[in-house]
Amino acid sequence: MTDTLEHGGTRRSGTVPRTLGFVARKLGGAAVSLGLVAVLGFFLFRVLPGDPARTMTRSAPVSAEQLAQLRHRFGLDQPLYAQFRDFLGNLARGDLGTSYTYNRPVTELIGERLGPTVLLVGTATVLAVLLGLWLGTRAAWRHGTATDRWFTSVGLTLWSVPTFWLGLLLLMAFGVGVGPLPGLFPVAGMSSPDVPPGVLPRVLDVAHHMVLPCVTLVAVIHAQFMMVMRSSLLEEMGAEYLTTARAKGLRDDAVRRGHAVPNALLPTVTLVFLHLGMVVAGAITVETVFSWPGLGLLTYEALRVPDLPLLQGTFIVLASSVIVMNTLAELLYRVLDPRVRA
Amino acid sequence: MTSVLRLCDVSVDYATPAGPRRVVDRVNLDLDSGGTLGLAGESGCGKTTLALAVLRLLPRTARVRGRVLLNEQDVSQLTWGGLRAVRWAGASVVFQGAMHALNPVRTVFDQIAEPLRVHSVERPTVSALRERVRELLERVELPPERARAYPHELSGGQRQRVMIAMALACEPSLVIADEPTTALDVVVQAQVMDVLRRAVRERGAALLMISHDLSVLAGTCHRLAVMYRGAVVEQGETARLVTAPEHRHTRELAAAFPTVGDAGSRHVDGSAGSGGGGNVLLSARGVGVTFVDRSRTRTRAVRDVDLEVCADETVALVGQSGSGKTTLARTLLGLCRPDTGRVRYRGVEPGSSSGSLREFRRQVQLVAQDPTGALNPRHTVYEAVAEGLRIHRDVVGETERVRAALEAAELRPAADFVGRFPHELSGGQRQRVVIAGALVLEPAVLVADEPVASLDATVRGEILELLLELRRRRGLSVLVITHDLGLAWSIADRVAVMRAGELVEQGPVERVLTEPEHEYTRALLAAVPSLPRVVD
Amino acid sequence: MTTGGPSADVRARRPSALAEGWRAYRNERGGVFGLAVLVLVVLLALSAPLLTDPAGLDVTRVEEAPLRPPGAGHWLGTDESGRSVLLLTWWGARVSLLVGSCAAALSMVIGTLVGVTAAHFGGWTDTVLLRLTDFFLVLPALVLAIALSTVLSRGVFTIVLAIGVTSWPQTARLVRAQTLTVQTRPYVERARALGGGHRHVLGRHVLPAVLPLVFATTTLTVASAIIAESTLSFLGLGDPSRISWGAMLKSAMDTGAVTAGAWWYLFPPGLGIAVVVLAFTLCGRSLETVLNPRLRGEGR
Repeated sequence: MTDTLEHGGTRRSGTVPRTLGFVARKLGGAAVSLGLVAVLGFFLFRVLPGDPARTMTRSAPVSAEQLAQLRHRFGLDQPLYAQFRDFLGNLARGDLGTSYTYNRPVTELIGERLGPTVLLVGTATVLAVLLGLWLGTRAAWRHGTATDRWFTSVGLTLWSVPTFWLGLLLLMAFGVGVGPLPGLFPVAGMSSPDVPPGVLPRVLDVAHHMVLPCVTLVAVIHAQFMMVMRSSLLEEMGAEYLTTARAKGLRDDAVRRGHAVPNALLPTVTLVFLHLGMVVAGAITVETVFSWPGLGLLTYEALRVPDLPLLQGTFIVLASSVIVMNTLAELLYRVLDPRVRA
Repeated sequence: MTSVLRLCDVSVDYATPAGPRRVVDRVNLDLDSGGTLGLAGESGCGKTTLALAVLRLLPRTARVRGRVLLNEQDVSQLTWGGLRAVRWAGASVVFQGAMHALNPVRTVFDQIAEPLRVHSVERPTVSALRERVRELLERVELPPERARAYPHELSGGQRQRVMIAMALACEPSLVIADEPTTALDVVVQAQVMDVLRRAVRERGAALLMISHDLSVLAGTCHRLAVMYRGAVVEQGETARLVTAPEHRHTRELAAAFPTVGDAGSRHVDGSAGSGGGGNVLLSARGVGVTFVDRSRTRTRAVRDVDLEVCADETVALVGQSGSGKTTLARTLLGLCRPDTGRVRYRGVEPGSSSGSLREFRRQVQLVAQDPTGALNPRHTVYEAVAEGLRIHRDVVGETERVRAALEAAELRPAADFVGRFPHELSGGQRQRVVIAGALVLEPAVLVADEPVASLDATVRGEILELLLELRRRRGLSVLVITHDLGLAWSIADRVAVMRAGELVEQGPVERVLTEPEHEYTRALLAAVPSLPRVVD
Repeated sequence: MTTGGPSADVRARRPSALAEGWRAYRNERGGVFGLAVLVLVVLLALSAPLLTDPAGLDVTRVEEAPLRPPGAGHWLGTDESGRSVLLLTWWGARVSLLVGSCAAALSMVIGTLVGVTAAHFGGWTDTVLLRLTDFFLVLPALVLAIALSTVLSRGVFTIVLAIGVTSWPQTARLVRAQTLTVQTRPYVERARALGGGHRHVLGRHVLPAVLPLVFATTTLTVASAIIAESTLSFLGLGDPSRISWGAMLKSAMDTGAVTAGAWWYLFPPGLGIAVVVLAFTLCGRSLETVLNPRLRGEGR
């Protein structure tokens, strides 16, 4: 492995301008996408509802006067182009407006909730990717055997289960407890009020709270990664370079680890990142079920009202982060795959 | 002399849902140390299966019977560990199509060094490996820097050299080369064969070479064996087998690769109407085509070409792949727009008036290289042949005309073929359907792009015979695009040689191919393997 | 044979190609199982008004105790207002299937149009459409669907629209890739050399080759659309006037069925979603295997 790196270092020097061009193109593309997200955010929450003030107050009776006041407060009494200009200007300064229900800056609310979501989604994604790739590799390598059929059936079944339902079931079985079985894990939130002081007890407490939501997310999303890895490896299985590797006298597992998996991994990486949006969607319902104080729960709270500025904020943040992650993945892919690099 | 490889009554069966299918049938072969044996046969005759059986590389559905003795050890009796030790160190393989046989994401160095690592008793140091890889690359005439390259950064010939270097890494006593040069150009093919021959001889290894091309084998191997439907039908000394073949199939294989300059393999009466003085049908004047790819690099695929096809003549356009001959053909067919120059049909530019392009499309027809791809798998033979008529809304007597076209393409009786789908036909039959699809519009010119390149040796002769026959009977002019000088020799009146987008030489076949003026034509001719050239 | 000519033969061969496809499909055990389940569920959903009395769904007209465990009279127990869970689940299938198939059909139409247009016309059209497709592909579809169904008025139509306009990018990518592949085939070149125009190439060669795969993908899209529908309903964005599986699970969570351990209220709707989604997934995968020559091992 060391020699590859040594050679790689010198080899790439000639392609630096091309790499720079590639990076610039990708970053430019990402910037355009982020711009589109902003425009979409404005369109969805300001233009599409017709009268946002009425939408927000649809569950409570309000007088015409109150409506007018509300419109003035959110700048809705101005012409659309002026609203759009202000929206973009504020966005550039990191100001996402004021929440209708909380009456606090949206940026502040999102900032508070970002940490828990990153913790939960990050942990679950890493675990799901590792588990999915491992299971997918095993299933494909033993293609057609009982192992493969078993893994595939379990994966497909878990993939068909709605995330929130699995969460509710786990919550009932292991949170509340069924029959003689006591509740093993907390049912809501990410920490208990009665934790003894100190770093370790607090970390353990959060981990204890995170078990159920994390298991739920991993169970559903690992299946997708498994199926992708499996079919990607199956596609490589017939490749002639594997016959070459076998002819060289390599052991079966060396052929798999040294030749088949590295090739199959590359398309999988792209797909893993393309499915990040799905993970985000799972996080919204899981956080709702387990009252995990993250962005998902915030979205759920906002859409009940509906608190349009807050929803707009979470939409822009969630969409932008997925775009940023994908751009990083594309840049990473170029480092990983020599065929794209040239 | 000791025997390196001995096959005793080897048979291979594949398990299929319909029961076992025999692919190799009781083959006996012998190869002494340092010897060279060529195994010839058409695709699907079982020659690759036989080669893979030597190292037990066949899929699990295959069952091998008989004895395979490698260095007097029975391969089927070996344990997995013993087998792994024999693989590559005892016998190595140069696989067909190095693009796919090399791992695309690992460097050349990694892949050559891998068997060295696996087959060393103690772990070799990186510097020792580097030295060894350098030496191996030098032996196949590749610069040592190429060790850092990835397969896609190499040309086809270079990749095949890497495969050869890899095969020699562990100094095996036997090298099996499976169609080592099939996808390569004549010139590159000659170079790679040269490297392979020399490298194997220097190390004293035995060579088992597999090819469909008898002339390639004849230039390298002392002994030849011909395989047909799983069995070896004839074997013996190369000189004897080539000059006095006994089995019918050997004769067919030999005839499929005509020898340039040999009057017996020329099927055109050179005196009749050749020379291009006749009535000009299709002409290109100063045609140039430039492509701009994604990274805005301009490639001049065709530059300033003048070419004519006259009534009742066959013109061959020869050149290596990438020489621009297919682009020129597409331009002549009006599928590609020239940047400079003009294409004319009977003096009229197609597309200059609304009716002229339609008329042109009827008069000039294409026969593509790969008949499998040229037929829509969802359309029946009837639909494929009638497509042209339907496009031109010329449906009067459609059924009769389709039938006549099929019969003209020698698919008789037509009624047996009309309802079939392409996958129910053989390669040769598919090409006949494509030809019938062109004939149904009663064209004046046929542009045939590598019409036999993807066909088996014995079928090639039949398709070429059909083209000759069509010309004799209908006076059809044909422009044949080919990389194969032998083909040009056997059917064309005139030949045009193309290199890097330019025509370097053109004239009557007898003159150009026997007394070439341009050095490139001479180089091409020198690279062509020919049968009577017996091993030195 | 002689009078009808070959065209009669050709017509006679068509059904046999279909029959061949069905024979190949029959070998896919999962696909046959999925298809059987689907037929059963669809029949049940269609027959709901015939076999049951919708009056049992009216909260004001029930007399049972709320959250009663399964027993005689209520095989699957009752919900928080005393309605039969079995009846609710039975009727809930209708919305899931309706929204799932309509949304998938909408997504198929958009995806096919975008994909074929991009691939066939190329150039700037392709660049812009591809860029747009990639943008929507990366964007979390559910978040977008949530936004759409929040701001638009509640109803089945909104849900269909929200899911349909957010799930087309995969289809568009697939159709574009397939169209591009088909267009490089020598038979398209041959058709052009014969004088065929855009209409001929698209109608006779491209679409017949692409549509079967689109059909397989659409089957898979139905599965994800049903999941999306249940998620939106679970978040309270569904049609309040109709019973759906997602909405049942929402009431179960909101009314404390989980803490009360009312498993009989929780299991049926979720199981319903899982079974229908699994059935569609199995059918879609089998169709893909049968229709995609590359997966069938007929490619080069």
